[in-house]
Amino acid sequence: MAPQDPNAPSGSGSGKRNEDSVKVPATDPKKKDDKKDEDLSEEDLELKNQLELYVERVQDTDPGVQKNALESMRQEIRTSTSSMTSVPKPLKYLRPHYGTLKAYYETMAESELKNYLADILSVLALTMSAEGERESLKYRLLGSDGDIGSWGHEYVRNLAGEIAQEFAKRQSEEAPIEELMELVQQIVAFHMKHNAEPEAVDLLMEVEDLDLLIEHVDKTNFKRTCLYLTSSARYLPGPDDVLVLDIAYTIYMKFEEYPNALQIALFLDNMQNIKNVFTSCDDLLCKKQFCYILARHGISFELDDEMVAEDDDREALQDIINNTKLSEGYLTLARDIEVMEAKTPEDIYKAHLLDGRASAGASVDSARQNLAATFVNAFVNAGFGQDKLMTVPSDASSGGSSGNWLFKNKEHGKTSAAASLGMILLWDVDSGLAQIDKYFHSKDTHVIAGALLGVGIVNCSIKNDCDPALALLGEYIDKEDPFIRIGAIMGLGIAYAGAQNEQIRSKLTPILNDAKAPLDVVTFTAISLGLVYVGSCNEEVAQAIIFALMDRSDSELGEPLARLIPLSLGLLYLGKQESVEATAEVSKTFNEKIRKHCDMTLLSCAYAGTGNVLKVQNLLGHCSHHLEKNETHQGPAVLGIAMISMAEELGVEMAIRSLEHLLQYGEQNIRRAVPLALGLLCISNPKVNVMDTLSRLSHDTDSEVAMAAVISLGLLGAGTNNARIAGMLRNLSSYYYKDASLLFCVRIAQGLVHLGKGLLTLNPYHSDRFLLSPTALAGIITLLHACLDMKAIILGKYHYILYFIVLAMQPRMLLTVDENLKPLSVPVRVGQAVDVVGQAGRPKTITGFQTHSTPVLLAAGDRAELATEKYIPLSPILEGFVILKENPDYREDN
Amino acid sequence: MKARKRRTLKHICLCLLYKLDSDKTPASVAHRSSKLQTISAMLNVSVKWQKELLKAVEIDTTQPPYVFKCQLYDLTGVPPERQKIMVKGGLLKDDADWSTLGVKEGQKLMMMGTADEVVKAPEKAIVFAEDLPEEEQALNLGYGAGLFNLGNTCYMNSTVQCLHSVPELKSALIKYSHSGRSNDVDQTSHMLTIATRDLFSELDKSVKAVAPMQFWMVLRKKYPQFGQQHNSTFMQQDAEECWSQLLYTLSQSLRSTGSSESPDSVKALFGIELVSRVHCVESGEESSETESVYSLKCHISHEVNHLHEGLKHGLKSELEKNSPSLGRSAIYVKESLINGLPRYLTIQFVRFFWKRESNQKAKILRKVDYPLQLDIFDLCSDDLRKTLEAPRQRLRDEEGKKLGLKPSEKSSDSKDKDIKMSDAEGSLNGSGESSNPTPDEGAMTGIYDLVAVLTHKGRSADSGHYVAWVKQESGKWIQYDDDNPYPQVEEDITKLSGGGDWHMAYICMYKARTIRM
Repeated sequence: MAPQDPNAPSGSGSGKRNEDSVKVPATDPKKKDDKKDEDLSEEDLELKNQLELYVERVQDTDPGVQKNALESMRQEIRTSTSSMTSVPKPLKYLRPHYGTLKAYYETMAESELKNYLADILSVLALTMSAEGERESLKYRLLGSDGDIGSWGHEYVRNLAGEIAQEFAKRQSEEAPIEELMELVQQIVAFHMKHNAEPEAVDLLMEVEDLDLLIEHVDKTNFKRTCLYLTSSARYLPGPDDVLVLDIAYTIYMKFEEYPNALQIALFLDNMQNIKNVFTSCDDLLCKKQFCYILARHGISFELDDEMVAEDDDREALQDIINNTKLSEGYLTLARDIEVMEAKTPEDIYKAHLLDGRASAGASVDSARQNLAATFVNAFVNAGFGQDKLMTVPSDASSGGSSGNWLFKNKEHGKTSAAASLGMILLWDVDSGLAQIDKYFHSKDTHVIAGALLGVGIVNCSIKNDCDPALALLGEYIDKEDPFIRIGAIMGLGIAYAGAQNEQIRSKLTPILNDAKAPLDVVTFTAISLGLVYVGSCNEEVAQAIIFALMDRSDSELGEPLARLIPLSLGLLYLGKQESVEATAEVSKTFNEKIRKHCDMTLLSCAYAGTGNVLKVQNLLGHCSHHLEKNETHQGPAVLGIAMISMAEELGVEMAIRSLEHLLQYGEQNIRRAVPLALGLLCISNPKVNVMDTLSRLSHDTDSEVAMAAVISLGLLGAGTNNARIAGMLRNLSSYYYKDASLLFCVRIAQGLVHLGKGLLTLNPYHSDRFLLSPTALAGIITLLHACLDMKAIILGKYHYILYFIVLAMQPRMLLTVDENLKPLSVPVRVGQAVDVVGQAGRPKTITGFQTHSTPVLLAAGDRAELATEKYIPLSPILEGFVILKENPDYREDN
Repeated sequence: MKARKRRTLKHICLCLLYKLDSDKTPASVAHRSSKLQTISAMLNVSVKWQKELLKAVEIDTTQPPYVFKCQLYDLTGVPPERQKIMVKGGLLKDDADWSTLGVKEGQKLMMMGTADEVVKAPEKAIVFAEDLPEEEQALNLGYGAGLFNLGNTCYMNSTVQCLHSVPELKSALIKYSHSGRSNDVDQTSHMLTIATRDLFSELDKSVKAVAPMQFWMVLRKKYPQFGQQHNSTFMQQDAEECWSQLLYTLSQSLRSTGSSESPDSVKALFGIELVSRVHCVESGEESSETESVYSLKCHISHEVNHLHEGLKHGLKSELEKNSPSLGRSAIYVKESLINGLPRYLTIQFVRFFWKRESNQKAKILRKVDYPLQLDIFDLCSDDLRKTLEAPRQRLRDEEGKKLGLKPSEKSSDSKDKDIKMSDAEGSLNGSGESSNPTPDEGAMTGIYDLVAVLTHKGRSADSGHYVAWVKQESGKWIQYDDDNPYPQVEEDITKLSGGGDWHMAYICMYKARTIRM
């Protein structure tokens, strides 16, 4: 092709080009033909001559000859456009004549033939048209309205690209776009018919008319279309993403794929759509599955008679939403995997694997280490209802030499010890309340505070008609003793996270505005309100917290604990993007000690889980300043980077890289936050590269960096039993055996790694990493913000903040149930999930799978699919509770 | 107020009444309570309590909720004051009015409460490590504190740490008093002894590293060579010199105190009796002499690969002296054997020698292995061997017993003794009370266990770094690198035998294994 290029029209000065191109066929090619002919095979030569003949004939005066020539030329082009890897031969040989034909076209009178020629020119422009000229489109619009698909895929694609450009241009010029839209209709129809859904969607997005899609989807292609829509939504700027997801929702509803529609409704947090799903679907079993999805997402949702007509059915469905059977399901899993046996902290520490370095067996109890053991015991035995420290039969406490474990904890440590009972009996409200009851009658205020907190923890993500948590804890909110108040308030926050309960608001807001209330009580009140109203943008709560921030004195706002108050404000706007702006404006008037901190916190919370790159850049900008004063806002900014970019895998990878840079150039307060941010990005997902970074940081000379890294190692491996992290932590425990604070962190991390003996996850993302549970994220970031000043909060007397992690705890299981919701064991294949977005055909969705029978554990990035045709799952995503329906078409093959 | 009080009183009576009836069925109680009332409005509710569901519990809405609680007491055994009944949005109060609570027929109530014993704090408060005073925390740690380096004083620090591990020396020092100085001990020795005593006790008490300021000053005063300066900083010194000088001083001052039963406690602890046969090859003259030394030398030559070989070398020497029979000086061969064993056997690896060409003390890097358990039986004199034989046999039997073997045929005569003294081994540890070996502490066996290693790292005696590796009473090894104590494993201790640039043993201290006869 190269030798001919100089003669090719190059889009400069049309008049001159015409002259040139007229000469071209007459002179130059003939010379070159002699040379080139040698390379061509006989067939090709013939084709070439043939085409040249056609070109000459097109310029004939006789319309009949013209028509014949055009027809033949068209025939040649059409039959050869099948291959996409090289330029088709007819196009190649016609290239030199493009200019000629174009010039001739201009001279032609309006006729059918002229349209014909336009069609051909449009196709020729596919390879000839200069960048930005959009001649293909131009001639297409001038040509006949024939079937564009007949010219082949490549042509249509090219056309679609030119339309997008033309559309943008016309929009800026406010020129009419009707004719374009007609073409778009054709192209979309063509793409949708030919397995090119992504192209169709792309074109429609470019021309901002996605509604067209709905007409063109059908049973065969809507799944791929919607998959592309939902995954592309992640990379779209607002408000386009909402638009795209709305279309996906509409399509799913159209084809009655209700579970998928529900997921999109949940993603958009659109209550009306969720209700529509319930009212549109009339299969009760399906509705039960919806309830399981809602329960996993952790939002409170009340069914009404419009959604479910029968009272009994409604009650049964509401029970599922209220998570009343979560404990049962979890224990089924535990029994199946045979991990019911309670574990002691020593089973986790595995000190016997360490060589001589472990400290000499201390005869005296260390309060710090006992507290760590309390947490480890609570985390490891979470939800199992039995352990070896707290739930041992009471006769051991009266006569036994070891005494009650509770009293092996010192002062405020007893609060955490009593509350750990709530963690052990997690989700099992009935036995939980019975076991905690005895601590209510203690004389020790710390113990009572712990009992109150324990009640809250037991009720976490469980709702009960009788509202036991509210009834019990409500009594203690206004007690004198600050410990008891904090216990009750924090308990309410955990039990009713996301519930948006009016009663709680009316009980708690007065505390915020009570100038006499101690700072810690106010802080916990604010956080609890933030959790209860997470992502609600509730004005009144926001007002109350803002007033509380304004009322507090200068010195109080300097306290590390006070920095959690802005966080509570941020929680109200979690993931709500622009809605935060009014409050962010108000925050600019705050005391300067907290102003910037508040600003960063609000920004990061509002855009959490959105993947908004601009906001990440903004936060990175804040981290690049070198601060002279003792400002604290860079910590939340670093966490914010993780919170925003955790939305999708690509963002996570980029954020990890950016954080590496911060580690190298950042100030100490940034370096302290980086491990925590890494922990958040890969929570319960032990990525090896992050593990190595954290392992390196865990030996940092700055002890706070090391502490954060150690805790983050715990978060990274939370609930995975990851042997490598466990080994690292074990070695750290001997490395830091002399440093009580760091050893405490190591112990906590060890507890986290073995969270629920490896049956739990802290990942706030679920349903194939599509949905983000707001309460779970809120729990994690509250903990992480507290970890920004480890020494003052976690290592001080507020260690029970660690229990906020319970909000994110969920079994990482697949439990299949039959139509009566009884566990049903079926074979499933579990393997690494494969990204199938935009792939043609029916690609495999998992790789490297193994076949197990349910219930099974799902690791991060795992996906499951049924290995039997006997049942049909009611949810497309096999996670958590999935109802199986018998397949009526199934036949046992022998 | 009064009225309410009276009413509650009345219901307590009622309640007691029910209590008496508690053996009857719940239905009959409910029935009875309904009979007591003339006009009654009844509601049937179900109550959820723990995992049970109590169905069809009647509520008499004209009675205060306390009555209802009494009914539940009957059903569940939970006393009313410990019942918490959840009604919409709150707890059921004893004196609430049913009509305002809006309880409906068939409603499900929830009750929390148990008859479990209320948890009581243990009578004896638990003591936490964090509450303890510093010295008890040190005790808890299981090993002593480190020593700060005061500028090239690692030779002194490691020496002190090694000697500090000898409990008998510690207790002997404690008995030494300020006033106890007798005239034959000079002032500076007395001061050094006092300083040592104070430093040892400080090491025991402290958790954090100690700065041995006083000790160092006194040491320099007593032995000015340690105050040698170069470029106005104190120079690195030979740890062996420090070790022997310190022991010498202590032996001088501790001998003179009248409190100790033995005249020379340091000598009893560390002194090695040697009997030497001096033999002249030319004249055939032979004489024998005895001496007492504080350490055995392990000479390192090309043939020496093991401590034992080095010791043998060290006990054989050639000297030139005037031979009375020949009337001129002749070569005499001196062969020494051990005639008296100390409780603590100190062995010095002669790694440094004066290199004339470079004018400095050079170091032999040769690898010389040393065992964790040393048997010096073949270095002993015949007399000593005889006394050692019986205890050694016993020890073998004891060990055989431990391994589950029967005592060998030879020792059948000692069988009857075995029964009498079955727990002879038990007395080996914790003998820190008395300062000198008394017969009741057991007899020497000639077998020694490694308890401390002083290592040197570097190429010459005046440079490099000294570190002490000390075995604790708990059996754990601690590496004292100036102010940092690090726990170590036993296998790593035997890796200090040299042959590279790693720490290598310079002085080893072994503790005698004794057996009660």
